[in-house]
Amino acid sequence: MKKVNSIFIIDDDPITVFGIKKMLKTITTCRDITAFENGKLALEGIQNRLTEDVEVPEVIFLDINMPIMDGWEFLEELVSLNIKKRMIINVITSSIDPKDYRKWNEFRLRCIHYLNFKNKPLYKIEETDLSRINLAS
Amino acid sequence: MNTTKTLPYQYILKQLPRATALVDKNLIFLDASDSWFTLFESNRNQGADIYDFYQGHQHASKATIKKILATDELKVIRHKRTKNKEEQWFESSFTPWFDEQENLIGTIIQTMEISNFMEQELELDRVNTLLKTQSEVAKVGSWEYNIADEQLSWCKETRKIHGVDPDYQPALAEAINFYKRGYSRNRISMLFHKALEDGTPFHDKLIIMTQSGEERWVTAGGKAIKKGGKIIKLFGTFQDINDQVLAEEKIKESSQLLNTLIDNLPINVFIKDKDSRKILVNKAECDYLGTTPEELIGKTDFELYDKDIAQISRDEDLEVMRSQEPMLARETISVRKDGKATNFLTSKIPLLDINGKPNGLIGMSMDITNLKQKEDELRNLINVTAIQNKKLINFAHIVSHNLRSHTANFSMLLDFLVREKEELEKERILKMLSHASDNLLDTLENLNEVVDISTNVNLEKKSLNLLENITKVQQNLSAFLEENKVEFDISIPKNLNVMSVPAYLESILLNVVTNAVKYRSPDRKPLVELKAQRQDKQVVFSISDNGMGIDLERYGGKIFGMYKTFHTNKDARGLGLYIIKNQIEAMGGNITVNSEVNKGTTFNVYFNEEGQ
Repeated sequence: MKKVNSIFIIDDDPITVFGIKKMLKTITTCRDITAFENGKLALEGIQNRLTEDVEVPEVIFLDINMPIMDGWEFLEELVSLNIKKRMIINVITSSIDPKDYRKWNEFRLRCIHYLNFKNKPLYKIEETDLSRINLAS
Repeated sequence: MNTTKTLPYQYILKQLPRATALVDKNLIFLDASDSWFTLFESNRNQGADIYDFYQGHQHASKATIKKILATDELKVIRHKRTKNKEEQWFESSFTPWFDEQENLIGTIIQTMEISNFMEQELELDRVNTLLKTQSEVAKVGSWEYNIADEQLSWCKETRKIHGVDPDYQPALAEAINFYKRGYSRNRISMLFHKALEDGTPFHDKLIIMTQSGEERWVTAGGKAIKKGGKIIKLFGTFQDINDQVLAEEKIKESSQLLNTLIDNLPINVFIKDKDSRKILVNKAECDYLGTTPEELIGKTDFELYDKDIAQISRDEDLEVMRSQEPMLARETISVRKDGKATNFLTSKIPLLDINGKPNGLIGMSMDITNLKQKEDELRNLINVTAIQNKKLINFAHIVSHNLRSHTANFSMLLDFLVREKEELEKERILKMLSHASDNLLDTLENLNEVVDISTNVNLEKKSLNLLENITKVQQNLSAFLEENKVEFDISIPKNLNVMSVPAYLESILLNVVTNAVKYRSPDRKPLVELKAQRQDKQVVFSISDNGMGIDLERYGGKIFGMYKTFHTNKDARGLGLYIIKNQIEAMGGNITVNSEVNKGTTFNVYFNEEGQ
């Protein structure tokens, strides 16, 4: 079992959240899994952790289409927070709009975090979705 | 010799006015008249040699004189001497001299100066040569008809023009028959007889058939010559003008062609002088300005068009003439004095005088108003199509996204279900599946609603009373409004109607009123202001609230998007504004939004009243 300290799931669809949580159970023993309904709430969650000096999540599952603040807006804000710790961000979408893929690629090149792109439906979460071998070390 | 002294002729001889000298049979000079001595500038010097007198004369050497005197025939010679560099010509006649018995006793020589005569003769020669050359060069021949003997004579050139032999002598009838049958022949006969009859001169352009049967244009001129009041001769000229006539015809033809072409070109053609005055206009230009060429010639654009337009045109003219560069296919707009605007594609080409200096221009304008209109229509159509296309793609993405997200959930849940062993968990997954199914149904219903609007573009609009419809919506929402203690401020004229599909108007009003209350500020009692007024061809309906407002800088582009919600409100579906925007646009209207965070939001709905 892969050990992960903290995971954020950002999706307004409770079924997807349920699914991700269920799949995570089979692969990791992480106890700190938090779900957020939209990007704004998730951003507040991260900001809270920063102010309280709690570790930011290692892994984020991020939906794109959400009310109030969507996945891209969330990423934009996250990048501007300038967090030094590298997070693994799994962008999950049911969109087949090629624009979304291009946007993902732009962010991937722009920020220090590891960005994955995953299309729904998800059946399984791989270990690579949760960790990244740091080749430099 | 002594007999001569007694001769009575001596004294007569002395006085003879014409220079006369006598030479005896032995060629001895006997005596001469005083005039002789004067003429030869010699003194009376008896016994002088006859040859001495001729000394210094050319063509009268001693040998020549001797030879003449030796014969007993009448001889005339011409001789000249040069005095003060001037030539003097003389004529000497040598006449045999007989006595009463007809015996030859000597020679009588008579001499006179003929310088003037010689000059005249030379001049005549020169004039004749000149005339001949002239007639050859100008191809002008002459003819003469003598009435007395009915003789017609042609000069060399006249014969040449007729294409006959140089020694051809025509009879009058033959000459007339050279003219082409019909007009030319009839005309020449008439003119010739008229001239014969009363001396009327003539000069006319006619056609002859040459000897070789070739048609040739000539001008035949004739004039009567009178003597003692009677016509004795007709004299005339005869000129070959075939080349000129053909050239003229060609010029006429090409000018006719050019005129026809210019006049019938479906573009406006004009030529302007350096002061931009029109000096040529074609039919299209006249038709466009609704007048005649006579009216247009000499006018400037300032007299024909709007002042501003005329100034632009004049500036173009000046630039073309200054730079000597043509202005090609520029889109221009002309506004006539009557206010009608026309789009033209105009070219202006500088006209240069012989010295290469610009002194005007040729202009050509093609009316492209229709083309422009079509272009505008096309552009509009493209815009509309592009917008619709964008909408469609957007819609397709929404559909695919929403349907995909549900189907993705189905497959994920089904995958869980298949693998799940625990009964309790299975039940939970099944519950989720039924929830996902409900969601899918909801989504399909929403999509259906949107498709309905987009496909029913031709729904019938009716004139509906706005205030009545607002009251109706207020009644439908009465419980909701009372619960939230909503205060209304309505300033809408009682008789104000809008053109709308009834169901759409209800949907629009319901949505904007509900939104105004739904997103109220938690700190204020909700106040909703409703206003409406007619503006040109539309009615503007405004609804303002004092609610929480929305950050337009952040969400402005998305506010009317599908499934976009910006507040943490449980009821927000992200569908209402998307649907009413579609409904309003389907009716040819428009909706805009103004908002300030924590102050309030105003929606302006523009109802299209055209075709009312």
